[in-house]
Amino acid sequence: MKRAEFPFLGYGVGLRRPHYDYIVGARPAMDWFEIVSENFMVAGGPALKTLARVRENYPVVMHGVSLSIGSADPLNRAYLRDLGNLARRVNPAWISDHLCWTGVAGRNLHDLIPLPFTAAVAAHVADRIRTVQDVLGRRMAIENVSSYMSYAASSMAEWEFVATVADAADCAILLDINNIFVNAFNHRFDPHVYIDAIPSERIVQFHLAGHSDFGAYLLDSHDHPIRPEVWRLFAYAVGRFGEVSTLIEWDDRIPPFATLAAAADEARSRAHAALAYRARGSAAESPR
Amino acid sequence: MTREDSTSRAELELGDLQRLLLRLIAAPAGVADALAREPALAPHGLDAIIRGDERMTAAERLEIYANAYFYRLLDVLKEDYPLTLAALGDDNFHNLITDYLLEFPPTEPSIHFAGRSLAQFLLVHPLGAARPWLAELATFERATLEALHAADAAALDAAAMRAIPVGAWPSVAMRLAPAARVLEFAWRIDELAGANPQVTLPHPPRRSPLAMLLWRRAGEVLFRPLELLESAALVLAGRPQGARFEEICERIADHWTDPAAAPAAIDRMLARWLNDGLMVRADR
Ligand SMILES: [Fe+2]
Repeated sequence: MKRAEFPFLGYGVGLRRPHYDYIVGARPAMDWFEIVSENFMVAGGPALKTLARVRENYPVVMHGVSLSIGSADPLNRAYLRDLGNLARRVNPAWISDHLCWTGVAGRNLHDLIPLPFTAAVAAHVADRIRTVQDVLGRRMAIENVSSYMSYAASSMAEWEFVATVADAADCAILLDINNIFVNAFNHRFDPHVYIDAIPSERIVQFHLAGHSDFGAYLLDSHDHPIRPEVWRLFAYAVGRFGEVSTLIEWDDRIPPFATLAAAADEARSRAHAALAYRARGSAAESPR
Repeated sequence: MTREDSTSRAELELGDLQRLLLRLIAAPAGVADALAREPALAPHGLDAIIRGDERMTAAERLEIYANAYFYRLLDVLKEDYPLTLAALGDDNFHNLITDYLLEFPPTEPSIHFAGRSLAQFLLVHPLGAARPWLAELATFERATLEALHAADAAALDAAAMRAIPVGAWPSVAMRLAPAARVLEFAWRIDELAGANPQVTLPHPPRRSPLAMLLWRRAGEVLFRPLELLESAALVLAGRPQGARFEEICERIADHWTDPAAAPAAIDRMLARWLNDGLMVRADR
């Protein structure tokens, strides 16, 4: 994997509709934006116009939700064609989607459903990522998802599955720190073990988001500020992977843009603090 | 075992697993109810497939996905159909969408498509049958959304028209812009269309035929009722091949009782179409 394919973009936020006019009109300071690709897979109109204006002033990453890379259905070629057309229009820094399935039998559940962690499923997914990368003519990044169930059939840990798929597909990893935290609680593992096991050279992006605590489980709701425990895990990840393009996700009960921008700034300062700590301290004193 | 063998076997097993989970997640009455309809499940049922623990059973874990599925789609459809929602009320709308998703589950990668058949479904659903105008209101709301995302196109404007020698005007072919459309209703949907669903609950509209023009201007979708004459002309221009200007003139003259007044009417309409960006050239 060449670094130049995934340049360091800094600290960004998701481009969401309530902020369109403000971002186009005021051009606030922001390192980069991430879009949900499907929201712009339309023929024309104001959404695409806004995106073009945003793209004139900021780097943009395309983040999809419906690739369904882990489905048993054949890859949706029409979707890949639309994705490629959008990429030609946007010229994104890179393209990502999730390590999950979203539908089968021609149906779409519009949700990120986890996969069984087996060698056979990893091979199936990796083959499909390779095909997508061939169609798009570029390497893509794949994101670990939050989950509320795991499968009896799984024969490896989630972090092994993520690493196996990424290595076999020769793709990049978008590591969602909040998802690791949520899954560590929901499936009872140590999130630091997860982070330690991910191949450093494949990490090109972090996601940070807020979750909701329902007692018996944590829900990846994207409608809260980032929790202190997730910030701590982020610092740990920066300590291991170094400074990585980082994005704040906020999809529900979306706050004013200034709140998002403040979260991106906080990520920057926490990352810098973690790097300073790493430069000073020894591995044994990592902020765990 | 070769790589191909393991992959195709995985696909088969994965497909069975995913189809089962899809049925359980999308079931209208919850996972437990849907499980009772899965006689092929092994003796340990879902617990042999999904790991539960003392905090949550396998079924409870899957229920999180079932709820997320329904409520995500319900939220999107509420946003897409605010007037239909206001006319029905929350509970009725909830029930309507429960039934709708069984008949028209999402198939497209983009969630924008999830609500595309709601008007069609209202025609046969009891909630729609009790309010025969509701399917038309939903048609209006869907058309608004589609106009918003329709293709951009260079509109024919007054300057472009002036640049064409008057002698060539009759053969100029024009077509409704992709983001413009004529909707024909049996009810006065325009009485509800501008309502703020937050403030006023739409009342039943009058029963009276209505042709409505819907178009996009500066990123906003606008509408206005059409008189018979203009609607006849725009329907002609709405065909895929569009219409030559002379055909449009003839259509308007046909409807005009006083032929001498036709040119002024045509002039007025054309000026408005060009000003609103309704037409694109169909002959180039
Ligand atoms: Fe994420």
